[in-house]
Amino acid sequence: MQLFKTPSIRFLKYKYLALGLAFAIVLAGVINIAFFKGLKLGVDFGEGTLLRIMLKTPSDEGHIRDLLQTVGLGKSQVQKSGSSGREFQIRAVESVRTKPSDKEQIEAHEALADKIIAALKGDDGTAERARGLVDLNGIDERSLTALLESAFPGSGPEAARAIIAQRNTAGIVADFRELDGLGLKPEVRSYIQDKTYLGKMTTLSRETVGPQAGSDLRRKAVLATIWSLMGMLVYIALRFKVANGVAAIFTLAQDVLITMSIYSFTSREINLPIIAGILTIVGFSINDTIVIFDRVRENQKLMRGKPLEDVMNISINQCLGRTIITSGTVFLTVMALFLFGGEVINDFAFLMLIGTIEGVYSTVYMSCPVVLFWQSWFGSKNARRR
Amino acid sequence: MKKNLQWKVVLAVAVIGLSIFLAYPFNDTKIHRGLDLKGGIHLSLQVITDDAINIETDQEISRLEELFKKNSLTYQKFAKEGLGRISIQGTLADQEGKTRDLFDQYSRDWDYSFTGDRANLSLKPLAAQALRDMSVVQAKETIDNRVNGLGVSEPLIQRQGNDKIIVELPGVDNPERIKDLIKVTAILEWKLVKAGPAPDEATLLQATNGQVPDDAEVLRGDPKRGQGGFYLVNKVAVVTGKDLRTIRRVTDEWNNPAVSFSLNSDGGARFEQVTGANIGKQIAIILDNKVQSAPLVEARISRAQGGVIQGRFSPQEADDLVVILRAGALPAGIKYLEERTIGPALGADSIRQGLLAGLVAIVAVMAFMIVFYKLSGANAVIALILNVLILFGALAYFKAALTLPGIAGIILSIGMAVDANVLIFERIKEELAVGKGVASAITQGFSRAFSAIFDSNLTTIISAVFLFQFGTGPIRGYAVTLVISLLANLFTAVFISHLLFDLMVRKSAKKLSI
Repeated sequence: MQLFKTPSIRFLKYKYLALGLAFAIVLAGVINIAFFKGLKLGVDFGEGTLLRIMLKTPSDEGHIRDLLQTVGLGKSQVQKSGSSGREFQIRAVESVRTKPSDKEQIEAHEALADKIIAALKGDDGTAERARGLVDLNGIDERSLTALLESAFPGSGPEAARAIIAQRNTAGIVADFRELDGLGLKPEVRSYIQDKTYLGKMTTLSRETVGPQAGSDLRRKAVLATIWSLMGMLVYIALRFKVANGVAAIFTLAQDVLITMSIYSFTSREINLPIIAGILTIVGFSINDTIVIFDRVRENQKLMRGKPLEDVMNISINQCLGRTIITSGTVFLTVMALFLFGGEVINDFAFLMLIGTIEGVYSTVYMSCPVVLFWQSWFGSKNARRR
Repeated sequence: MKKNLQWKVVLAVAVIGLSIFLAYPFNDTKIHRGLDLKGGIHLSLQVITDDAINIETDQEISRLEELFKKNSLTYQKFAKEGLGRISIQGTLADQEGKTRDLFDQYSRDWDYSFTGDRANLSLKPLAAQALRDMSVVQAKETIDNRVNGLGVSEPLIQRQGNDKIIVELPGVDNPERIKDLIKVTAILEWKLVKAGPAPDEATLLQATNGQVPDDAEVLRGDPKRGQGGFYLVNKVAVVTGKDLRTIRRVTDEWNNPAVSFSLNSDGGARFEQVTGANIGKQIAIILDNKVQSAPLVEARISRAQGGVIQGRFSPQEADDLVVILRAGALPAGIKYLEERTIGPALGADSIRQGLLAGLVAIVAVMAFMIVFYKLSGANAVIALILNVLILFGALAYFKAALTLPGIAGIILSIGMAVDANVLIFERIKEELAVGKGVASAITQGFSRAFSAIFDSNLTTIISAVFLFQFGTGPIRGYAVTLVISLLANLFTAVFISHLLFDLMVRKSAKKLSI
């Protein structure tokens, strides 16, 4: 099967327009980041506490905010996640104003998280606990085993494991009937219902990053990114020409900046996994760039005397089939992640969707033009020296 | 079959066999899931190494004071002048030689100088560094012991940088308990109670006119124990954790969990004497400056008897206290930098959805390759499957954990693997289009595409190596998976795929299904 006969589109005819467009987006992004919306740093790079909770019954952001308001934490960011209406992310933004020592600060953040959980729980379970019942949605496997083992020696561990596994899959036990079909003995099943109650919420995750760790993680992520870009620059400069190395770095910087800009405009949070996503985009982009550079290098040998711009156009056209197929399959992969990957992976997939489109664009309209400019500035001198 | 083809087949089968052997069965014991996928707890903490210097300084002061007295040297006062600095005021000029000899002999880790009637000592930088270092090593060991006492499987306790310790405990479903367990410095003290418990400090200090006496201090009950009140206790401890000989969990007379202890002879003697003299008074059991319980002394407690710590413990808490006391106190304070708890439910959910999405994506890509490149596409699909197999084998071998960013790395490498095959196939098509024979088109296609594949994979590997070197947790996980799968990529996309073509066109070299 053939996508099309090798086309002859003069891509680089539009290089100034394309560069201008890229420059405009980057500029708008930088201005937006510097003066307006800024970058929304996740707990990894800022500081504070991020809670993910799951409720027994669906609720909405407004209701949760109201509950938090009662303890003076109404400014916390509440975000619904998933489609069940039962999962929420809560970022406590109330900063610890008195700026005590770092040690106290992280403890203050922790206390904030405790306060949020307490506010959401309200008086849920107080009566049950007074009657000596335990929360099936809060108990750990060891304690549940002990509880069952005291009544049914020998079958405690197995039953506890089955119940906890069911709870882990569902996130929360909303109804005792969910325990049917786990193969529990009837007496165990009714014992559970007698001795436990179903608390209204469970904490899925809880992350607290102190100020020192936040700045440390930030510094290291920037450092790692810069060094890895430098590594690529040196390798490409050695394998091709300095111009190619410089162009690759410009391309990648543009990829990173545009991605950051879009993150700023859409107010998505930047955290460590997102950095991995940005690096993945950079990886795809560099791959594209090298494929084109490689083809240009090869064609330059075959077409001596032809202007570099023409050689580049021919090379981009020759690689067009490959570009479309490869980017298309990657796009397909990422689209699957975006649609079916679930909440945790969604931000990452969104990033990759932008990245795959952006990567191809930047390869054609950033890397090739920069090489052209570089050659026209420094190329003639080199030629004379030879 | 040509001879070198035979060897290639052997090599391919060996690598794939080894990978399957390493990774099979594909479950938790072989492929470790990272905390983000499995759930668990991640703590990053800093050892406050200044504490170690301060402790050393205090000890040096008391050592020197003793030596000064023993050698009948006169002085007015020893003073701590900050971190690792001591001054001795009021030393006489005519005893300088003798003092020097003393310092030379007993204070080798300290630099000293004399100004007027003062002697100044400061801890040598190298000695200070060694002390700081030791305190981190000891803290790591203590944490290790405490965690191991709990029986968590696969705990990871790692030193990072100068003074940081990373604790990762996968699959732990009760993280609060672990945090408490590690956080405790575990300085255990028994002190006589002068007054209390009282609901607030004013009530507590009524008898002493609102003043805290010089020889006493105010402590709070541990809120976790339901001991909310304030206590006025003696500054000097009767016995401390250092005097403990044995410690174990028991149940008290009301059948509640408790911790029993016995003391060494020195501490036992002191305990016997103090309890004998204070019958009817309270003695507070204090852990890290929080009162756990304050039982009444009903009778003199002989050194053989030991005692019981009661504090409304749950069975778990009693166990934990035993673990903490057995593992010893931390040599310095600990500061938490980062705490992450990922519940197992979140992990289970994200891995299920992630796997589903990954599967859909891979099947779609494979279907596309076969539809578009026919039999050659099937080659690419085989190469892709083998790529993933080798990756899993390597992950199992290196005991590297699969994380969410790691999956990002896999996506990138799968993308690049597909790209490598597409590059090769498009080149082969170009060669066929200009009328080359099948065999030579294949050879040319591979060799022409090779430089692009090699350069792009190697560039990415180089960048990943830097990321590993300079990055933190998730970024490192990304880098590891990426490097492994790109190396696998070079092997499968170039070597295995070529081999499959060679095997495929051996006989009918007239037409290629591409």
